Amino acid sequence: MSRLTRRTFLGAASSVAALAAMGRPAFAQGAQIRHFWWGNPDRDKRTFAVIDMFNGTHPDITVSGETLGFDDYFTKLTTQIAGGNMPDVIQQGYGVLFEYIANGAVVPLDEYIGKSLDISKIDQSAIDAGTVDGKFYALSIGANSHMAIYNTRLFEEAGIVPGETFDPYGYTYDELAEFAAVIKQATGVAGTDDNTADYQNFSDFVGQKGALLFNEDGSYGATQEIVEEYWSTWEKIRNAGGTPPAQETAGLAGVAELSQQGIVTGKSAMTYLWSNQLVGVQGLVEDTLGAAMYPNTPDMIPGSIVQPSQFICLTRDSVDPVAATTYMSAFVNDLDMTEVLGLERGIPSQSDVRDALEAKLTPAEAVSVAFFDGIQGKTAALEPPPPSGANEIEQTFERIAVGVLLGERSIPEVASDFLNQARAILARA
Amino acid sequence: MLKFFRRNLAGYAFLSPWLIGFFLLAIGPILASLYLSFTKYNVVRPPQWIGIDNYVYMVEYDQRFWKALQVTFNFVVVSVPLKLIFALGVAMALDKGIRAIGWYRALFYLPSILGGSIAVAILWRQLFNYDGVINSVLGLFGIAGPYWLADPNYSLWTLIVLAMWQFGSPMLIFLAGLRAIPQELYEAAEIDAASPVKKFFAITVPLLAPVIFFNLVLQMIEAFKSFSGAFIISGGSGAPLDSLLFFTVYLYNEAFSFLRMGYASALAWVLLLIIALFTAIAFWTSKYWVHYENERG
Repeated sequence: MSRLTRRTFLGAASSVAALAAMGRPAFAQGAQIRHFWWGNPDRDKRTFAVIDMFNGTHPDITVSGETLGFDDYFTKLTTQIAGGNMPDVIQQGYGVLFEYIANGAVVPLDEYIGKSLDISKIDQSAIDAGTVDGKFYALSIGANSHMAIYNTRLFEEAGIVPGETFDPYGYTYDELAEFAAVIKQATGVAGTDDNTADYQNFSDFVGQKGALLFNEDGSYGATQEIVEEYWSTWEKIRNAGGTPPAQETAGLAGVAELSQQGIVTGKSAMTYLWSNQLVGVQGLVEDTLGAAMYPNTPDMIPGSIVQPSQFICLTRDSVDPVAATTYMSAFVNDLDMTEVLGLERGIPSQSDVRDALEAKLTPAEAVSVAFFDGIQGKTAALEPPPPSGANEIEQTFERIAVGVLLGERSIPEVASDFLNQARAILARA
Repeated sequence: MLKFFRRNLAGYAFLSPWLIGFFLLAIGPILASLYLSFTKYNVVRPPQWIGIDNYVYMVEYDQRFWKALQVTFNFVVVSVPLKLIFALGVAMALDKGIRAIGWYRALFYLPSILGGSIAVAILWRQLFNYDGVINSVLGLFGIAGPYWLADPNYSLWTLIVLAMWQFGSPMLIFLAGLRAIPQELYEAAEIDAASPVKKFFAITVPLLAPVIFFNLVLQMIEAFKSFSGAFIISGGSGAPLDSLLFFTVYLYNEAFSFLRMGYASALAWVLLLIIALFTAIAFWTSKYWVHYENERG
């Protein structure tokens, strides 16, 4: 009710404004746009600075920013959907985006392309990733991949030299077990975080075993053998002494905050995250960080993917889609604004922006760019969008894998429990 | 009838802010949630009527529902008596005329005000971390403390201790109750040379029974609804291994993580029925152990 009233009011207000200002761009006088994203302190600072720049150059549009940590972001968005007061522009990830599109919370952008929204310089692959059933919904902020982030000082102290004793783009789980134990002995810090309950690593592993996470028919792709082998692989690394104690890892299962990662708390020398998070993590630690791919099996089948890190989308509840898309367009195209944003949300999908940034990279950003060059040809093809329930399966994995860490049940038992629950979730979704 | 209303108009006018709030903000949502509990509703699409499917699924297939019930029952059964015993003990200690008793009362009540807050739950997490304060203190005595929060055998105890720490409000009510017991009874017992234990069970407990009953019902309902501590300490998921999967945490997850508002509404109604049932049982058994002074014995 209140939404309708407000809309009607704004509608009336904007037609009056349009009449009063004939010949000016068709914005409502003083259009109010809300932009909502999940972030971290570094990202929030950059984004608010960009919003100030935009407001300074667009006197007829006022953008206000709202931000929350990842864990709370979708909760708040859910209540906003229910209340019919979603912000105009929201941030979305590859995982959940498609549920929002299917349910109509996010609306297509096609009618604004070439008018308020310029996508002429955006990579075709990024446009394809945001397109569903021939309609373009989601504007990619940048490209992303899985990245193992390591502490170069601890590696050096243990005598592990990237490029000689350690190939960041082609090491195996067995090699990881070895050098993680060496680091523990040399420095007292565990060589690697324990990924037993890490779904990102698990999904890569499924690819490395030549399977799909979700089959063509929508059924779950990981088999009993793959799940068992994954957990046994990490058990081997753990037993070799390369990880923090299992119970410590159990306490962190499902925790997404950067400040809690082993490499930040000083509990381990290597942590597994998304490549765009390198910049944020580097801001939290003194030592210089290095980048590597996730470990692989001896067969070296690619398992990591390159995918859009995040999108910005226009919501169903937007009060002024033209003003909102004007802002979205500047967010990905304006060279001054994108310079402030840097690579914090991934490698930009706009070619001019990439060229402009190249000259002014910070050391951490240079590591990111080198990493993207290094993984060329070593990644898997992007899988089709995940089905409904994928998010719940991920959380179920994180929850159940704790049983492996605490050793209360055998690996085969926990694996079949997980697969049964995954199938039940898909059947119910 | 009209006359009645006219005579009471002023009263209703003064009541109206509360009445409007009650009907719009309480009764409305309650009825809406009852309706939603019979639907499949993911917030974005309109609700879809599915009859009693939510309730059938809950009872027949949902293992986590049963797990959540079990965790919540364990919590209620252990934390409520411990908290009441603790509160009564402190109240009896304060009942003896100590100097500056007002200060102590305020001091002991403070955790009840703070206890439900997010900040304290986060503080609790810090205290019970493996390298937190509790284990450091234990370390001074040569005891290697467990992983309180990561070990499903211990995690619930940290929340029981958190609940006990919030003993302030039952304590104050006990204190008022103790003050109402006539001193002559104790003096008479004194003359008969009754032991302190005897005095406690023969005088204090029976005369305090109505207050104990009141506190029991209140704290039981509170414990069934307990949420923020478990939510913060388990990182919102009921981890580790669902050992902190309180009913309300599970409900929250279903509603906001998995967008199953219809199912979450059904869970909320089941919780309401369970609390009503237990309150009814408490009232029913009370006639066997609670006696009021004005009753004929």
